Amino acid sequence: MAAPRNSYAGRMLRVDLTSGRISTEEFGSGYTDLFIGGRGVASKVLYDEVPPEVAPLDPGNRLILSPGALHGTGAPAASRTTVAARSPLTNMHGDGHAGATWGGELKRAGYDLLVIQGRAEKPVYLLIDDDRVELREAGRLWGLLTSKVHARLRQEAEDQDLCSVTIGPAGENMVRLAGVFHNGADKGTSARCGLGAVMGSKNLKAIATRGTRDVGVADPEALKAAYRDYLETIALDPYVPPATRYGTCRFMMHRVKFGIHGAENWRYGAYDWQGLDPEVFRSDYQIKAGACVACPVRCRRDYRVTSGPFAGTRAKLEWETIARSMTCGVKEADAVIAWSNLCNHLGLDIEGTGDTVAFAMECFERGILTEKDTDGLELRFGNVPAWLELTRRIALREGDLANVLAEGVKRAAAEIGQGSERFAIHVKGGEMTAGDPRGMPVRAVSYATSTRGGDHLRSNPYIEEIMTPEEALEWWGSEEAADIAHGLKGKGRMLKFSEDLVTIGDILGLCKFAFYRSATFPYLYRKGVHLATRLYNACSGRSLSEKDMLLAGERAWNVEKAYNTRCGATRADDVIPARFFEEPLLGGGPSGGAVVERDKFEKILDEYYQDRRFEPGTGLPTRAGLERLGLNDIAADLAGRERLGG
Amino acid sequence: MAKRKRIVYTNRPWEATGICSGCKLCELYCSLHHNGAFNPRRARIRVVELGTGIDVPVTCQQCQDPACRAACRFEAIEFDDRLKIVVVNQDKCTGCQDCVGACPYGIITIDPISHKAIKCDLCGGAEPACVAICPSHVLAALDDAAAGEYNRRRFAALLAFDDEAERYRPGGEEPTFKKLEKRSS
Repeated sequence: MAAPRNSYAGRMLRVDLTSGRISTEEFGSGYTDLFIGGRGVASKVLYDEVPPEVAPLDPGNRLILSPGALHGTGAPAASRTTVAARSPLTNMHGDGHAGATWGGELKRAGYDLLVIQGRAEKPVYLLIDDDRVELREAGRLWGLLTSKVHARLRQEAEDQDLCSVTIGPAGENMVRLAGVFHNGADKGTSARCGLGAVMGSKNLKAIATRGTRDVGVADPEALKAAYRDYLETIALDPYVPPATRYGTCRFMMHRVKFGIHGAENWRYGAYDWQGLDPEVFRSDYQIKAGACVACPVRCRRDYRVTSGPFAGTRAKLEWETIARSMTCGVKEADAVIAWSNLCNHLGLDIEGTGDTVAFAMECFERGILTEKDTDGLELRFGNVPAWLELTRRIALREGDLANVLAEGVKRAAAEIGQGSERFAIHVKGGEMTAGDPRGMPVRAVSYATSTRGGDHLRSNPYIEEIMTPEEALEWWGSEEAADIAHGLKGKGRMLKFSEDLVTIGDILGLCKFAFYRSATFPYLYRKGVHLATRLYNACSGRSLSEKDMLLAGERAWNVEKAYNTRCGATRADDVIPARFFEEPLLGGGPSGGAVVERDKFEKILDEYYQDRRFEPGTGLPTRAGLERLGLNDIAADLAGRERLGG
Repeated sequence: MAKRKRIVYTNRPWEATGICSGCKLCELYCSLHHNGAFNPRRARIRVVELGTGIDVPVTCQQCQDPACRAACRFEAIEFDDRLKIVVVNQDKCTGCQDCVGACPYGIITIDPISHKAIKCDLCGGAEPACVAICPSHVLAALDDAAAGEYNRRRFAALLAFDDEAERYRPGGEEPTFKKLEKRSS
C-alpha cells in the first residue's frame, strides 16, 4: 500500500450514541481550506452543529475531538489535540487541548476528526480499531479512576500501544470542573470548560483507539529542513534552557519578578513561595526531563515523592498546578504533587477546581460557610488535608457543599449568596488562571476577551515584556505597547495579534510552550509563524503564506466569538471580576497595591475591538469583519438572529 | 573491516536530560526513514512505558547467533556481510511470527501494513535515523568496545546514586488518602 500523499487522513468519523449509528464522511477542502485542523475545525463544527437552543448537557451537544493538523507527524512539538463542546461552565464555546498520543492514533486509524452526538442509554465506550468502530458496554469501567480505565482498556485489547480518551468519576458525576483525560491520568488533559461533564452526560466513559495506518508527509525533505531550523532557533533562544531544566515550574520566577501570584483566592500579589521554588521541584522531586510526543524541548515533568505523608506518589504536573495551589494558600511541594495526582485520577480540571476550592476557603474564613456546612472540614487557606478532602468530595459530589461547588465557582456563588459572588473569580463562568492581572492592564483585557472564559493560554500578551520599543513602534504603531504598566496605545492591537498567533498553535497542534513562548519577539515570530507555516506546508503539500496562517488563526477566533455572540454574549461579558478593579493587591512586592484601572481597561478594549472589527459599543462581530475572513455563512446566521453588529 | 554495531541506550542517569524523555521521535523518524511516512507501529525501535516518568527505548541487540534466525522456517533472516548483522529478506518472509516469539527482547515485530517481520537494520550503515533525531542524545550506534565503555559508566552511576532504585521503582501512583490526617496543617 502506498503511503498517503499528505498528513491528512481524508475522512472523519461520526458517532451517534442515541441511535448507535456510526458513519464516516469525507474530510476535505470544506474543512481544510479555511479551518486547517485542530481548534480551527472544531470551532466551526461546534458553530454549525450546536445552536444556542441546545444546552451543554443535552444529548444534542457535540463532543468534538480534533487532532492538530500536524499531530501524528514528526513536526517538533506537534502533540496537541483539541476537544471541544458547548461548555457547561460558560454556556458558550468550550475547548481544551492536550499533548498526548491519542490524536495521532486517531489519524493512524484513518480519521482527521471525531464528532460524538446523542446520549447512550447505558454506560458505553467507543472502540476505534482502524475501520472497525463499535460501541461497547462499559458498566465494568464506570466509577474507575482515569488511570485504571486506560490500563483496563489496554489489557482487554491485548495491545499496550492502544490509546484512550477517558473521564474519571468527576466526569461521570457531571461535575462542571471535569476534564477529558488522554492515555490515563498523567499524559495530558483537555481540562478546561467542563468537557468531562459533557462526555459524562453522554454516558460515554472512554474512547479506545488503535490505528495502524501511516500518517503521510508531502515533502519529507522540507519537513526535515524546517525541523533543523527549529532546532537551531531553540538552541539560540534564551527562553528554552530554563524550560528544559525546570519545566513549566520556571514560571514561578516570572510571578515573583512581577509580584502577581494571586494567592489566597486572588488577593496576595507577593507571597511566601520559597517552598515551591522551581529548584525544590527539580532537585527533590523531579524524575527526569520528560517530553510530550515529538517534542525536543522536554519541559514536561513527572515528579515523585519519596518521604513524608505522600511518599510513593508519582504525578505529572505543570506550573498552573502550583499556581492554583497558591490560590488555595498551599506552600508545600509534596502536597502540590499529591493534589495533582488526586485531580488527575479523579478526572478534575486542576485550574477550575483550585479556584473553586479557594472560593470556598475565602467564604469559610469570612464566616459565610461554617464547619456545619463543610461537614467538619476546617476550610482555611493552606490547610492541606481539608484541601485534598474537599477536592475528593467535589469529584464525587459527596455532601451538600461539594455538590454545590461541583457546579463551578459562578453557580456555587449564586447558590451560596450572602455576597460571596464577590469572591467568585471567573470570566464568563470559567475560572481564572495564571498570574494576577493587577498592574498589567493588557493581561487583564486578555482574560476578558478569551473565548473560553478566564484563561491565559488564549493569547500571548506577555509579548509586551519581550518587545523592544522599536519593535513595538514597528508592529503596533506605538512604543507604548512595550511599556507593561503604563502603556496604552498599541496594546489592543498587540493583544489581537497575540490571540491570532497562539490560535495557530491550537490549529496545527503545536505546543504553546515550544512554539509560542520566546525570549525575544524575532524568535517568537520565527517559531510561531514562519516555522509553523513551513512545517504545515511540508506536511500537507499546500503552500500557505505566513499571512494566510495568521488569518487562519484570526478566522478560528472569529468563529468562536460569533458562537459566544450567538449564545448571548456582549461587551458586558468581556470583563474581569470586580475584585481586580477595586481591591488593591495585598502582600506588598513589585505590584503591591495595584488595581486594574477601569478607564485603561476600557481604552485597550476599544482599540482591540476596533482592530478586530467588532462593533465598539456592543462587542458584536460585524458583517465586514466576518466576510473579510470568508465567514459569510456565519455573518448571515448572526444577521438572521439579529446578533450582528453594525 | 567495519565492526558490528548496534543501537545502545546510552543514557546518563546522573543528568535529568540524560534519560529517555519519552518523546518517541525515534519511533517517528525510524518509520519515516523506512516507509516514507509516520507510523510508530512500523518503527524498529520502540519506547516502552513502564509507568509515570519511566520510558525506555528498546531495539535490536544484533545478536551474533540470533534466536530469530534459528526460529525461522523459511530462511528469511539472512546475515548481511557488509553490516555484520542479520536482516529480514522481505521476499522470503511469510509473516508467520515464529521469530517474534523467539526474540528474547521482543524487538523483531510484524509490520501492520506489509504483514512481514521487521527489525533494526541500522538504516543500512548511514547514521541511523533514531540516533540523528534523539533530542536527549541517548541513542548511539556503537561497536562492542564502545558499548562496554557506556555500560561501565552507567553502572558507575547506579553505584554512585543510591536513590536510583527509588527513581525507577514502578507503582505507587494511586492517590492515597489514609495518611492525610497525620499531617499537621
